[in-house]
Amino acid sequence: MGINFEEIKRLVPQRYPFLFIDRVVEIEEGKKIVCLKNVSANESFFVGHFPEYAIMPGVLTLESLAQASIILFKKSFLKEETSNSVFLLASVRASFLRPVFPGDQLLLEVNVEKVVSKGAMVQGIAKVGDETVAKASLTFGLADKGSLGN
Amino acid sequence: METLTTEEVEREVTAIVAEVTELDREEIWKKRDANFFKELEIDSLLALEILALIEKKFKIQIPEEKLVDITSLTGTINMTKSVLAGNGRLKESAVGGQKA
Repeated sequence: MGINFEEIKRLVPQRYPFLFIDRVVEIEEGKKIVCLKNVSANESFFVGHFPEYAIMPGVLTLESLAQASIILFKKSFLKEETSNSVFLLASVRASFLRPVFPGDQLLLEVNVEKVVSKGAMVQGIAKVGDETVAKASLTFGLADKGSLGN
Repeated sequence: METLTTEEVEREVTAIVAEVTELDREEIWKKRDANFFKELEIDSLLALEILALIEKKFKIQIPEEKLVDITSLTGTINMTKSVLAGNGRLKESAVGGQKA
């Protein structure tokens, strides 16, 4: 069953211009999520990346996979609201196979490798159509904002 | 399921820890008793990554409470051996541990 944008905003703390999930296409709690990100020519990052040749920064494809992971983690393992907590990426191993251009529709698939109470390791694949544009292994944790020293 | 010798476990776990810490295998083996967090600057979440990769490599399930054993390479190897032994997948070795 899909999740609409209002529900996505409830689950993902990021906001414009840093919210990179438009729709959840499929979710299998505890295991897998598939999300959509429509890459518009109006994206703010295209202003600078690059002025004469618009391609989506690879790190933002990773961020999109990370945000899909947050939705999966919250829907699967975190049933209570935690306004005091923040998700932090600890490790990323990624490969980028082709650039993402304005007009592309990113399909973001994330599969759980291992979950503990305070974090998870997941495998993500970003596709445009049938073509894989990036693959990544992400490890992230849930930290208390007060413990981060700022 | 395949059974493994202690040497195989040592070699594979060392390779995983070397990959995650981005240290050379020889180097991490020399520092096998060093504390990951205090001496090798490994974040506690990297311990989760090590745990996940060990699960995948050996096709075993490791409970979350074992995360506290991932504090050094030696501790990680011993934890892995103990889980494999509990699953009847560790071969007793005639010789002691060898260099990974």
